[in-house]
Amino acid sequence: MAEHQDDILALEHLGKTFRVGFWGKKVQAVRDVSLTLKRGESLGYLGPNGSGKTTSIKCILSLIQPTVGKIRLFGEDPSNASARARVGYLPEAPYFYDYLKPTEVLDYVGKLYGLDAATRKKRIPYLLDRLGLSNALDRELRGFSKGMLQRVGIAQSLLSDPDLLIYDEPLSGLDPIGRKEVRELMADLRREGKSLFFSSHVLTDIETLCDAVCILDRGEVVAQGRLSDLLRMDKLESEALVELPIADLEAAKARLLALPGVEVMEELANVLRLRLPTDVVPGLTAAVVEIHATLRELSQRRESLEELFVQKAVHVSADGQRSPAAGKSA
Amino acid sequence: MNIQTTNEKLILRIDGPMAALSRISAVAGNTLREAGRNKLFFGLLGVTILMLIFSILLSDLALTDQKIRLVTDFGLAVIPLVCIATAVLLGAVLLYKEIDRKTLYAILPKPIRRSEFLIGKFVGLSALLLGQLIALALCWAGVLHLRGGSFSLALAQALGLNYIEILLVTSAALFFSALSRPVLSGVLTMGVFLIGRITYVINDLMQATKGVFAEVPAMRALGRVLVAVVPDLSTFNIADELQAGIAIPPDYFVHATLYGLSWVGFFIALSLLVFERRDLV
Ligand SMILES: Nc1ncnc2c1ncn2[C@@H]1O[C@H](COP(=O)(O)OP(=O)(O)O)[C@@H](O)[C@H]1O
Ligand SMILES: [Mg+2]
Repeated sequence: MAEHQDDILALEHLGKTFRVGFWGKKVQAVRDVSLTLKRGESLGYLGPNGSGKTTSIKCILSLIQPTVGKIRLFGEDPSNASARARVGYLPEAPYFYDYLKPTEVLDYVGKLYGLDAATRKKRIPYLLDRLGLSNALDRELRGFSKGMLQRVGIAQSLLSDPDLLIYDEPLSGLDPIGRKEVRELMADLRREGKSLFFSSHVLTDIETLCDAVCILDRGEVVAQGRLSDLLRMDKLESEALVELPIADLEAAKARLLALPGVEVMEELANVLRLRLPTDVVPGLTAAVVEIHATLRELSQRRESLEELFVQKAVHVSADGQRSPAAGKSA
Repeated sequence: MNIQTTNEKLILRIDGPMAALSRISAVAGNTLREAGRNKLFFGLLGVTILMLIFSILLSDLALTDQKIRLVTDFGLAVIPLVCIATAVLLGAVLLYKEIDRKTLYAILPKPIRRSEFLIGKFVGLSALLLGQLIALALCWAGVLHLRGGSFSLALAQALGLNYIEILLVTSAALFFSALSRPVLSGVLTMGVFLIGRITYVINDLMQATKGVFAEVPAMRALGRVLVAVVPDLSTFNIADELQAGIAIPPDYFVHATLYGLSWVGFFIALSLLVFERRDLV
């Protein structure tokens, strides 16, 4: 893979194998992941629990050593502090010293980034205020909720005004309002030109946050690319929600499915969500009238990220949990 | 949200020795602060102060000319031991706590080297132990004064040497805590301390014409290994000499300090070697 000036992060065939237990049994947490992130771009690093997201991120930040492959962070090896100086990182579970107050945490972090006292004094209250923490300044972190800790985590990630933000599961464990706020914040940061690399196992509402995605499953990339290329936004496909008469359910259903290209996406009692070619819509409406069904909704179809995800990683949900990490971080 | 307070680019001072020093002192400061909240630390400090005060009562039982002597001996023996115990207990969890509570994962991705972090932890704990030693020494000086004695320069020098020993044990604790879990690292550090205090005895026994160390080849070999790999901590204990009224030549202090600090350097270097490559999962 050629290295470009614009690539601020590049993974080349990244792989990480852990050895666990007395016999050193191998666990392949990440296998052959290659990706690049360009300046100003936002990349969603997606996958179910235990798919290797956190492991990859720990490699990017030099917390752990890759077993194989190469990582370039601003063109440097991430073990160089100067490369990491340009990164703001939000850990999966943002644990800070719980005996410190938010200002003290940020002050400590500011010292590590080499910010002078005057800058820290100006910037810390400002950031804490922007993140809605100004009424918790005199409280130790031990009493903070997950949402508040997340805000402290985000505040410290922004302290050095970094070029790249690496957020591990920024939306998990938050209530709906918290999620919305963090999403809006990330969208703002994107608008400001920050590059974003964030992981998530929840896919709702993140489409608007990323230019590109990389979907992992069991440590392997199953889909990768720009969202516009990955998600079919097919004008030729439509979606219909049809309520069938209970009396003649099976026959009615058979009648609809006999139409060319019609597939059932979802079935709930006598309500069917169907996917069909747009030119079959007249045929469908005719059939609906004929079988005395009700057409509740009809819309143009746009594939969602979630569908892509389920389609690519469908076997995952089938065998459910398969790792301790899956249970822990759920 | 505009996260820039001004339009100018923030200046990050991360290069050069001054920046490294300020990162080390940030870590040290936080370590000191955390250790200073430790209940065990204050418990131990409180009990020791009570014991020092109690030694006044105890000395009442002694003969008149032995009273000061008893308080002096007691302090010289107990104060270093308490500091060592603190070093072992807090040193054993020094790194483990950071990993266990996941606080490390937020710190090490910052532009700080692992070596700086480790040295910061060491400096922070060493500063705490110095504070503890001084607090106990002051209390002891008060007790000596009550008994009509005084806190002489010789006693201060003796405690100074003990501080080198404390640093040495702390660095050993740092090394073991980079290597293993708290209980094991505590036991190993304790082992270094106990064997270190008696290596000279082992050495003497090997020189002797009788006894297992002289007669059993396996024990001889073990003795040789122990004497070689474990620092001789008796170097830092001059209580016996003080009691016997033997004057200690000034260059003894210089040599003992250099000896101790080389061991400290050795243990820190080993810790760095272990910690630098370690996966922090
Ligand atoms: N320290 C470790 N030792 C052994 N296996 C690990 C370790 N950390 C993670 N794993 C395994 O690696 C896989 C990926 O974990 P992780 O990167 O945490 O996934 P994600 O962040 O996507 O939920 C999981 O199967 C997990 O059990
Ligand atoms: Mg994770």
